[in-house]
Amino acid sequence: MPVYVDISRCIGCRSCEVACKRVHGGKGHVNVHMAGDHASVPVFCHHCEEATCTMACFTGALYKDGERTAFDVEKCTGCGLCRLACPFGVVWSDKIAHKCDLCAGRETPTCILSCPANALSTDFELASRRARTRAAMAAAHGGRR
Amino acid sequence: MPQVLVPTVCPYCGAGCQFFISVEKERATGIEYMPEHPASEGALCSKGNASLEVLYHQDRLRYPLKKTGDGWARISWHEAQELIVRGLGGALKKFGPERVGFLSSSKCTNEENYLIEKLARCLGSKNIDNCARLCHAPSVVGLNRTLGAAGMTNPIPDLANSKCVFIIGSNLAENHAILSRWINRAKDEGAVVIVADPRMTHTAWMADIFLQLKPGTDVALLNGLAHVIIKEGLIDKDYIAKLTRGYDELVEAVKDYSPEKVSEITGVPADDIIRAARAYAISPTSAILYSMGITQHCTGTDNVQAIANLALISGNLGKPGSGVMPLRGQNNVQGACDMGALAEFYPGYKKADDPETARFFSAGWGRGSLPVGRGLTATEMIDAAGKGDIKAMYIVGEDPMNSDPSSNHTHDALEKLDFLVVQDIFMTATAQMADVVLPAAVWAEKEGTYTSTERRVQWSRKAVSPPGEARSDLEIVCDVANHLGLDFDYPDAAAVLAEINRLVPQYGGITRERLDGMGLIWPCPDKDHPGTPILHSLGFKLQDGRASIMPVQYRAAAENASWDYPFILTTGRVAVHHNAGSMTRRSPSLIEREPELFVEINTNDAARLKIADGDEVLVTSLRGETSARARLTDKVKKGVVFMPFHFSGTNKLTTEVTDPEARIPEFKVSACKISWRD
Repeated sequence: MPVYVDISRCIGCRSCEVACKRVHGGKGHVNVHMAGDHASVPVFCHHCEEATCTMACFTGALYKDGERTAFDVEKCTGCGLCRLACPFGVVWSDKIAHKCDLCAGRETPTCILSCPANALSTDFELASRRARTRAAMAAAHGGRR
Repeated sequence: MPQVLVPTVCPYCGAGCQFFISVEKERATGIEYMPEHPASEGALCSKGNASLEVLYHQDRLRYPLKKTGDGWARISWHEAQELIVRGLGGALKKFGPERVGFLSSSKCTNEENYLIEKLARCLGSKNIDNCARLCHAPSVVGLNRTLGAAGMTNPIPDLANSKCVFIIGSNLAENHAILSRWINRAKDEGAVVIVADPRMTHTAWMADIFLQLKPGTDVALLNGLAHVIIKEGLIDKDYIAKLTRGYDELVEAVKDYSPEKVSEITGVPADDIIRAARAYAISPTSAILYSMGITQHCTGTDNVQAIANLALISGNLGKPGSGVMPLRGQNNVQGACDMGALAEFYPGYKKADDPETARFFSAGWGRGSLPVGRGLTATEMIDAAGKGDIKAMYIVGEDPMNSDPSSNHTHDALEKLDFLVVQDIFMTATAQMADVVLPAAVWAEKEGTYTSTERRVQWSRKAVSPPGEARSDLEIVCDVANHLGLDFDYPDAAAVLAEINRLVPQYGGITRERLDGMGLIWPCPDKDHPGTPILHSLGFKLQDGRASIMPVQYRAAAENASWDYPFILTTGRVAVHHNAGSMTRRSPSLIEREPELFVEINTNDAARLKIADGDEVLVTSLRGETSARARLTDKVKKGVVFMPFHFSGTNKLTTEVTDPEARIPEFKVSACKISWRD
């Protein structure tokens, strides 16, 4: 259940970055990437099915817990291999590793609640459902003007 | 551990988002969202998320200070009040009240603004204003004149019902971020989004039709749209006949604004103008949103009137999904204006130049005579101080040194004052100029009401105590008033609100008891009234219930690019900073994301000047110079540069030319040049 992005809605306001940092003791786990002058996309932990960070972690500090890529701080040695292994640049290691924990202990991840544009959700289908609605409405109205 | 959740209203923009502050052992420890909030649905922008960072900042003012030969000395509240009696009271006696100025704060609560305005007028001074002068003064003038009420006509969530959202001169995606969720919702339901802006802003990403106009040509564009709508017969004939006056004059006034001619003036392709006009007029419900890009011009009032004209001829007022929506920048700038902290209005927009108004309030306040007539505006006070006509000032929560145009001029003017008292939460550039500085409480340290941009009046609670000896603005102002011989006996904000209920008709029914939830939207005249989310649904509060269509003609901006100053500088905000930046620049998680002043330059212009991305450049205008980091981009067109005004420097460059009616400076168009920094 990772956080999915509806890129057509992201407004690059960086609310998710600041919110994430706020609830994780000053260490955020989101990067809002500006794609030139025309779009932005927040990059989150994908909670990969075959997570390379868990494969690289030799102590088992990073491990798969169902859909979640979980992290056990007790086992972390701070070697930084996970940071090198993550293809999206969303595992950090300063002294010890830190990454998205989907806001463990909270019902909904903070970034989703905070997003002003409603661009984030845990519903994989949401973005495509919205796009289909938009297309259907446009067709019904004879195309977007 | 016992944890209490205290609901407060966000201290940043005017959207009026609420959130809970969690308090443990009398310390604010975190934020919890409020999904049931009607406007934000619990969302917060980056600034809202970082708002607690300023609460315990080391720079907070903790004690009253007085200026000494070599710096600042801590003094007691008692001594501070004595100095104020001597300085402010002395100037009142020696020079008369008309030579004393008061600046109220659009960051303070309604109750505090009401008291500051009452203080000024009870002391006999007409010179009371707030920073709405620098943002929405043209809306107050222009919308009162055309529609009979200034303020957003429809609430924020109602945007979702719109079938065409026209955004002009507002970068709401960055500055009022939560609005984007409603616009996205409208888009999913098939709405067309039109954005007009000199920059390809984040807001423009949402647009179906993007009109990139030259700064300062808004009237030409809006008249061009009206021209197309009239020519193609897309007007709402019934609405015009029933509810407006002045349509024939408009037809005459816009007949020369053909899309081709407007295209020449604005740089927007004629086809796009036609497409936008059709989209706006054909849609069953269209809303116009605008902000500083419309108002901060020497033609600000004209711009606002041109917008109102567009809504009136297409009948887009008084129903869901439609409306004219000025987006307010500060959390309580709407409230500060409602409370009469304006040179031309007493509370409730009662005209200051009407003797009846003065009679009404002198009866209500139990004061003999109150000043009649329009006072000096915020910018005029600074000018008057420079000329020696204003001798003393009391500035609450404002930073004209950073926020007024032509900072060097402001500096010289404030220096000439005999006495200046500044009340703020940080030692701002303006406070540095003061004789006495008073430490104030921030939003979470006091209670009271704030009025959001959608006219929603919300009660914000006190979560924690102010640091050191800092006190709420309400207590300080009452104390100052009592020391100056007035009788301000208000135990708390609720007592002031009760007086507001009595004297401001729009707030008549907005009592403390009714404000425990998500607030009420004014006008709300009596205790049983549910509030009025949509204005003008039963006609207009003008003669015969008709709105006035006020034709305007395009006038060029005061400055244009020239041989010596070849670029047009336009200013604005970025997502992670707010206004003069005294709060956001002290917020670690915000300042690290946008640490310094930058200037956006078109890549082609930069290539010609041999400037690379990240170079330190010198930006110079007729009024001053500042250095900034070059940011190469295609967001701005050739010949246009953009700088945010959160850092001191930008407003050294801007022009002090003002709108003749609303007196707002033209922040959005100044000629400048860019050179290498040696």
